[in-house]
Parts: sequence; C-alpha cells; structure tokens
Amino acid sequence: MPQVLHQSYEQLVEKAQALFWVKGYKGVSAKELADCLDVSTSVIYNKYTKDMLFMDSLGYYTSNYSDPFLKQLRETTEGLDSLRDFFYSLIDALLDKTFPKSCLMVNTVVEMRNANQGITDVYQRYFDTLTNSYKVVLDKAIGLKQLKYPEKKDEYAEFLLGIIFSMSILYKIQPKEQLREFINEQLSFIE
Amino acid sequence: MRYKEYNTNSVLEKCIPIFWEKGFRATSINEIVGVTGVNRFSLYHEFQNKEGILYNALKLYQKRYGMSKFDILKKEGDLATVLQEFYLSFLQSKEKYQGCFYIHIGTELADEDPEIKSLIRNYLAALEFALIERLIKEAKTKNNPKFYARHLVGLFCTSMSFCLIHSEKQKQYHIANGIKVILNKK
Repeated sequence: MPQVLHQSYEQLVEKAQALFWVKGYKGVSAKELADCLDVSTSVIYNKYTKDMLFMDSLGYYTSNYSDPFLKQLRETTEGLDSLRDFFYSLIDALLDKTFPKSCLMVNTVVEMRNANQGITDVYQRYFDTLTNSYKVVLDKAIGLKQLKYPEKKDEYAEFLLGIIFSMSILYKIQPKEQLREFINEQLSFIE
Repeated sequence: MRYKEYNTNSVLEKCIPIFWEKGFRATSINEIVGVTGVNRFSLYHEFQNKEGILYNALKLYQKRYGMSKFDILKKEGDLATVLQEFYLSFLQSKEKYQGCFYIHIGTELADEDPEIKSLIRNYLAALEFALIERLIKEAKTKNNPKFYARHLVGLFCTSMSFCLIHSEKQKQYHIANGIKVILNKK
C-alpha cells in the first residue's frame, strides 16, 4: 500500500527550507532530509526529490523572508535613515537567529554558484528585486536632498548590494555595536 | 620509531579541493582516505578528527596561497589598480576554485565552530594589516588607514561571495565600483 502523506507539499517545503538554511544543500543527505520531513526515504527518491525541495525552499525563503522585508523597505519614507534602520534590523535578525544562519540566498551563492540554469534564474530575480528596492529608497533620499551626487544612484545601488554579503560573514565574528558602526560608515560613502 | 610515510602538508594540500568542492559536512573520512592515500588511523593520529584536518588545511591555505595574494598589495602603482588586481587574483577563471577558502568555509561553519571563527578573524585581521601597510603610503588614505582598510575588508568578503556568480565583466564592474565608492569618500 502506498504511503499516505499527512502533510501538504507546502508543509514539507517549509521544514526542508529550515534544514537547508542551516546545513546547506550538499551537507544534507537523503536520509537526513527524510527524517526531518518525517517521510520515508523513498518519498525523497521517488516523489519529492532533494533538488525539487531545495529549489522550492529558495522560493519559500524569498516569499516568506526577503520579500516582506523588502516590501517594508520600499514603503519607508526617510531615505538613508530608513536604509540604516533596514540594515540594523538585518543585524538583529542575524544575531537573534530569526535568520538562523546568515542569508539562505548568500549561503547558496557560495555553496552552489551557478550550478544550473534554474538556480541562476532564482538569483537573477532575487538580486533584481533587491537592487530595485535600494533604488526606490535612494530616490526618496534624493528627494530629501540626502545625496551629494544623485547622478551616482546606480553605482550606490550596486555598492549597497554588497552589504548583505559582507554582513553574512562579519556578523559571525563581530559584536553588534561594531556591525552597526560598519553600516553607518558604509552609508557615509553615499551621503 | 615508526617512520612517517607521508608529508603532512601534501596530505592537507589534497584535502583543500575536496572541502572546497563538497563542503565540510558532506566530506567523509573515507573520501579523505581516498584522495590522500593515508589510512584513517594515521589521519586521526596526526589531526585528531575531521575538524583537525580542516583547521590545518585552512592554515596551510593561508601560508601557501593567501600570503602571496596579500603581497600583491605591496606592488607599486595606482592604489585603485593594485586593489583591483588583488581582489581579482582570487577570482581568476583559470583557477579551478574561485574565491577564498576562508570565506567559503566560514559561510558553512563559522556560526557554530569557535575555532573556525577565530581562524577567520585572524585571516581577516592579517588582510586588514596588509591593507593598512599600503594605505599609510597613500596621500588620500594615510590619515585614516584603518577606516579605509575596514571597508576594503568588507569589500573582500563581498567579492569572495557575490562575485562567484558573476560573469567576468560583472565581477570587474562590481569590484571597481566598490573600490571607487570607498576611496572617493569626501
């Protein structure tokens, strides 16, 4: 008799995502994944494969963690001050483990790189959204006359894009105050 | 006394690519035995455990590869050009493993392993020091070399991760832009 799953696929993805976030893709075996999802390994081999669960985990991460965070950022009104608050709350999320292990997308970039077209497309969408969100805030900063060189908006957006990557390493070795100071100084480059 | 039939560094040298490619967790002792040709008892005797192999592999990487790349910072010439060459030296497409072994392993393990944390802290401190030595010689940065060095280390962390998915053109642009934004601070 085939095994009946008492969980929806979405519930499985949610659990898989939490595991991949902490252990990465390669560090999770089929057995470990099955145990975490409370299904038999044959489900992982035959029905919901590790690759499929991983790709959908990235989608889950984007829609549940980064999208709401970025939507909030785009709706802010204080320009660079809002950007500072955004990075401060990122630091808090990293340190209090709301984000259990840096950013899943950053971890995936380092671990998987451009392993296949599917993953490259995910990065493309993710970093486009991030860049556009920064540009929305930079436009507001320009409106508030906070930028000395408004014409450098695109260069600044590219620079800001780097912050989630540097934070993803630095939060592991520096205390909160130092991280906040780093953010203040990073923003001083574009003021 | 038993004659040790292998050279420790050549064993570690063979472990770097496998940790790099598969990550630490996904690499088994059996695979390490396979690539090094050293049996597990000798490996455990020498390094205690798999962690011990990794710690020593990181130290060897810094000695053999990191240091020579840090030396690029001593080159004569325009600061921005030298910095660009330094960052890109880790990202040459002819090299099989692009990026930096420390940032790679730190991304996987530095949350939970205090030894890895301290190795990364030391590695980045060595980089910061090498940058400061250069920055004190430049008119633009000599009055505040620590400030600039801190942010150039930040750019190092960024380019050793983000640039891994970039095309040649994208990575050159991202790094050049980062250097420019940092050095042009008013």
